[in-house]
Amino acid sequence: MTFWGYVRPDGSVGIRNHTLIMANGRGAANLAALLTKLVAGAKCFVQPNENGRDAEDRKTIARTIVGLARNPNVGAVLIVGNKKNGGYPEFTYEAIVGEIEKSGKPLDTLFMADCGGFQQAVGLGMRKARTLARKASEVRREEVGLGRLSLAVKCGYSDATSGMSGNPVVGHLFDRVVEAGGTCLFSETTEVIGAEHIVAKRFTEEAERAKFLAAVERVEAEARATGEDIRTINPIPANIQAGLTTLEEKSLGAITKGGTKPIRGCLTYGEIPAGRGLYYMDSWMSSTALFLGFTAAGSVLNIFQVGGGWFTTDAMMPTANTGLVAPTLYMTGNPRTFEKAAEEMDFSSGTVITDREPIAAAGERLLGEVLGNASGRLTKGETMDVNDNLEVYLRGPGL
Amino acid sequence: MKAIIVMSASDNVGNAIEDIVKGDTVAYEVDGERRQFTALADIPFGFKAAVKDIALGGDIVKYKETVGRAAKPIRVGECVHIHNVEGKRGRGDLTEVQA
Repeated sequence: MTFWGYVRPDGSVGIRNHTLIMANGRGAANLAALLTKLVAGAKCFVQPNENGRDAEDRKTIARTIVGLARNPNVGAVLIVGNKKNGGYPEFTYEAIVGEIEKSGKPLDTLFMADCGGFQQAVGLGMRKARTLARKASEVRREEVGLGRLSLAVKCGYSDATSGMSGNPVVGHLFDRVVEAGGTCLFSETTEVIGAEHIVAKRFTEEAERAKFLAAVERVEAEARATGEDIRTINPIPANIQAGLTTLEEKSLGAITKGGTKPIRGCLTYGEIPAGRGLYYMDSWMSSTALFLGFTAAGSVLNIFQVGGGWFTTDAMMPTANTGLVAPTLYMTGNPRTFEKAAEEMDFSSGTVITDREPIAAAGERLLGEVLGNASGRLTKGETMDVNDNLEVYLRGPGL
Repeated sequence: MKAIIVMSASDNVGNAIEDIVKGDTVAYEVDGERRQFTALADIPFGFKAAVKDIALGGDIVKYKETVGRAAKPIRVGECVHIHNVEGKRGRGDLTEVQA
């Protein structure tokens, strides 16, 4: 089983070939955004402001920047800044550019202090970014094995079909990719509450299991600290109006998307896993934050498995392209959702309900769909030039 | 005849896979055995029906796991949702003794 991907100098395999322009430090974000507009096909990540953030959150921002640049879907990177060094220690030249350099991919830098200011930087930055874009375009797709793929999944707009015919189908796909030697990520710590005992059993390392259980405990304590019944927050109204009753019910349906293989580790937001295999990421569930975190961790294709029972019409792409450089594949296990929104959904396993299609058979169909998208076919979301709101999962206060 | 899916034999609820109207005969299969009941309420697609009587405070069981507890006694054929079930986890609204 193979797909056609871009083999990077570090051996990782991308399925897209973007030029990425990013600021190192919020003070140069506007320069990065402007250059992105001027260079065809370039992508930009405008980072949240690191100023007044605690070390933990600054690390998360820096990890996200480095991870996005290292993502195999990025063919070349331009890092812009005010000056080479001078900010928080997490954003030194070594910490950002030095880490990205390890990937061996084409990389250039641009500092306003070295070129006489903002307007001069625009001209020089254009030249550098256009050169990088041409360099990235020289790479050709090669046929590689399924085991070179790195995927991630999030479920959303969950309903009863999520646990019956949607998430278990992703679980089958994950098992197949992991068996082949690939990497798969799943997450959403609030939505393992009530099902954590099942997930916890599958960690191979005691220390990683402890990290996972501590994460669940932390999130439930945060939920209780609100003074509210979690049900007024999550399940979200769209879940309840579609028939999900409690967080526990939602969680038990959600965890099946992680398949059945051993879990190698519990990652923090945007953390690149140390090896191949199945990993859990401790993150907020929001589709505007989680796909970005998955992409920073190296996922080249993010699956958004939606129930969608809440929607009455074809309004089915609640977030678009929030993986920034990694496409989102929309799928549903709800036959009614697919009927309403066939133009937005890349894949349906609603047939598990309507035709009693076995989970494994639907999972094999999904694998075929994934390999097609991995080899170059655009997902439906990618055909829309939407730059959706991106959020980094930050936990500390603004100080 | 309408259909629900019951995920496991130990579950006391199942999910409607079509729109069920009060009075409909509803069928499901567990462990290769076909069973049926009469719907005591409307149970829209994706909502849950009780397939066993559940006492006040009793566990709601789905996927062989506890997904909440009955806030009212629930009879076979009733719709099982937020009007008669509460969650046990993440209850910031309760003191620890209540939880």
